[in-house]
Amino acid sequence: MIRTFTGIKTEGRSSHPLWMPAGITATLLYVLFIGLPVVAILVKAAQQKGLMASLLSDTTIQALQLSIVTSIISIIIVVIIGTPFALLLARKDNLLLKFIDSLVELPIILPPIVAGVAMLMAFGRQGIMGPALSSVGIALPFTTGAVICAQIFVAAPFYIRAAKLGFQSVSTDYEDVSQTLGVSPWQTFWKLTIPLASPSILSGLALAWARAISEFGATIMFAGNLTGKTQTMPLAILTAMESDIGASLGLSVILLFASIVVLIILGFFANKSWRANL
Amino acid sequence: MIEAEMTYQIENFALDLSISVNSGESLVLFGPSGAGKSTILRAIAGLIEPTSGFISIGGATVFDKNQKIWVPPYKRKIGYLTQQYHLFPHLSVFKNIAYGLSRNSKAASTDLISDLLEKFQLSGLEHRYPWEISGGQQQRVALARALASNPSALLLDEPFASLDSELRRATLNEIRRILEFAKIPVIVVTHEREEAVAIGDEIQVIDSGHTLAKGEPINVLGHPGQERVASLIGVENLIPMNIIDTSTSEGTMTCVPRELDGPRIEVPLGVGYESGYTTIGIRASDIILAYYKIDNSSARNQIQGVVSEINTNSPGYQITLNCSEIPLICNITGTSLSEMDIKVGSSLWAIFKASSCFIVRDHSETLQEITPNGRL
Repeated sequence: MIRTFTGIKTEGRSSHPLWMPAGITATLLYVLFIGLPVVAILVKAAQQKGLMASLLSDTTIQALQLSIVTSIISIIIVVIIGTPFALLLARKDNLLLKFIDSLVELPIILPPIVAGVAMLMAFGRQGIMGPALSSVGIALPFTTGAVICAQIFVAAPFYIRAAKLGFQSVSTDYEDVSQTLGVSPWQTFWKLTIPLASPSILSGLALAWARAISEFGATIMFAGNLTGKTQTMPLAILTAMESDIGASLGLSVILLFASIVVLIILGFFANKSWRANL
Repeated sequence: MIEAEMTYQIENFALDLSISVNSGESLVLFGPSGAGKSTILRAIAGLIEPTSGFISIGGATVFDKNQKIWVPPYKRKIGYLTQQYHLFPHLSVFKNIAYGLSRNSKAASTDLISDLLEKFQLSGLEHRYPWEISGGQQQRVALARALASNPSALLLDEPFASLDSELRRATLNEIRRILEFAKIPVIVVTHEREEAVAIGDEIQVIDSGHTLAKGEPINVLGHPGQERVASLIGVENLIPMNIIDTSTSEGTMTCVPRELDGPRIEVPLGVGYESGYTTIGIRASDIILAYYKIDNSSARNQIQGVVSEINTNSPGYQITLNCSEIPLICNITGTSLSEMDIKVGSSLWAIFKASSCFIVRDHSETLQEITPNGRL
């Protein structure tokens, strides 16, 4: 809750302190700085002739499809791997786990291009695992699989962090009570833990998906920029800037709206915490 | 019934005791916080595993270290009410109560729940969420939820802790009613004397993971044998005394305060206490205050003193009477205080029967005697 102190005047102190004009100016500048480019995309896209034609070109459609498919696959893998991992981090406490926990957020801070180089060094043809992988017939770099790997690498921490906080917010006392009511640990997880942690889990999911679909640096380094195979929307935007600005603008508008949807989802879950209610 | 004998050891806490409650009866676990009362409940519910021993509920062994038996909590059929109730915040009152019921008998469980809602005066609240109902209602929902799956034992951890005094009374009645209709053993953890007396068929005083005393509440709380028990249950007057005379024909002993030149007090004859040091316990509510000595009365003890303190002790007052340096605490009602016009400095007589006094043994010397059947 935000408390407003309007109407309360203290002796000798102006209700309009000196910093107010500076604050208002700074706010306006910032809103313009962020808002203007956003508006500019929309305006320029609207003015663009043949925008729909550009958007419906094979290259953009393929990029769109690829982005949607790869980001969904990435998120599914992130959830499957990340959920039990987050649960372990939330519920167990030892030195090794603390160390791992501190590493979870590394990909958030690491420059994505470095992530791409790192993945090449690990799974590339010349990488540490390269010979082993190629001996079983797997060549990861410059494939759609590499796109998914890059997305998982950068997006997973957002989900794991949020899911961990979600699980931590569910007191184990609830789970204990659930078990005394005759509900097995496995059912308790589905009937109790997941619903109670869901606001946090779903906001983590939204963030992770937003990060996956906007992935650029690691993808271009590890997966390359092959139309229909590894060229996701951000890569297609860069490519199209040189030839077909309409396609570039159209794809940008789509990603912009995707971001707004994620923002709305996040705002919705931020207000929906079970813990705050009891 | 519940029978258990267990030890439980963690870093700097050791529990070692046995528990036994018959069906339809209630056992109060009484003791200070940190004594291990909740740990006992958690062990019976299966939420922690004792280091050694066994636990049986309704004739079925749910834990036996030697035979390597371990029944997980969800198969123990235990109703367990925590101090904070832990109602599930994402579920309505109805769904909270229905939580543990199997889904394949929906019609039957709907009947059962509406029955419980009525029994616990929750009708009309079934679609509310836990945070939308009062603390007393929350507790009733938690009780209904615990009883819905027809448990073979009920464990209540400080069921009154988060309720105000008016609600406490209502809840006491509630739990007594449950005891009547659900013929299961009930264990109640509390550190309030009044609750222990009101609810318990039997009381077990626990301190530092060990049983200090057990028996009927009226005996254990009325005449606590040990100093530690007496101080735990809050006997207001514990006076170190010296036995100077015993009268077998009267069945009394005469004591004087140790070291001090104070009043003589007559107490019941204690076996094995012919002379020497002892501690005498007197409940504040067993003392009558008067302005004059009552001649020809049956009360063996009449001591004069001066009021040194008057404190509120809801719903009445607590008077400290200084009887030759010995402070004697007495409870009186507000009406008595105003009618007698008692003030600090008033000179009064404290009158009490010899049988209101009891001998309090030293903790260390008599631990074994209190629980003769072996393990403590």
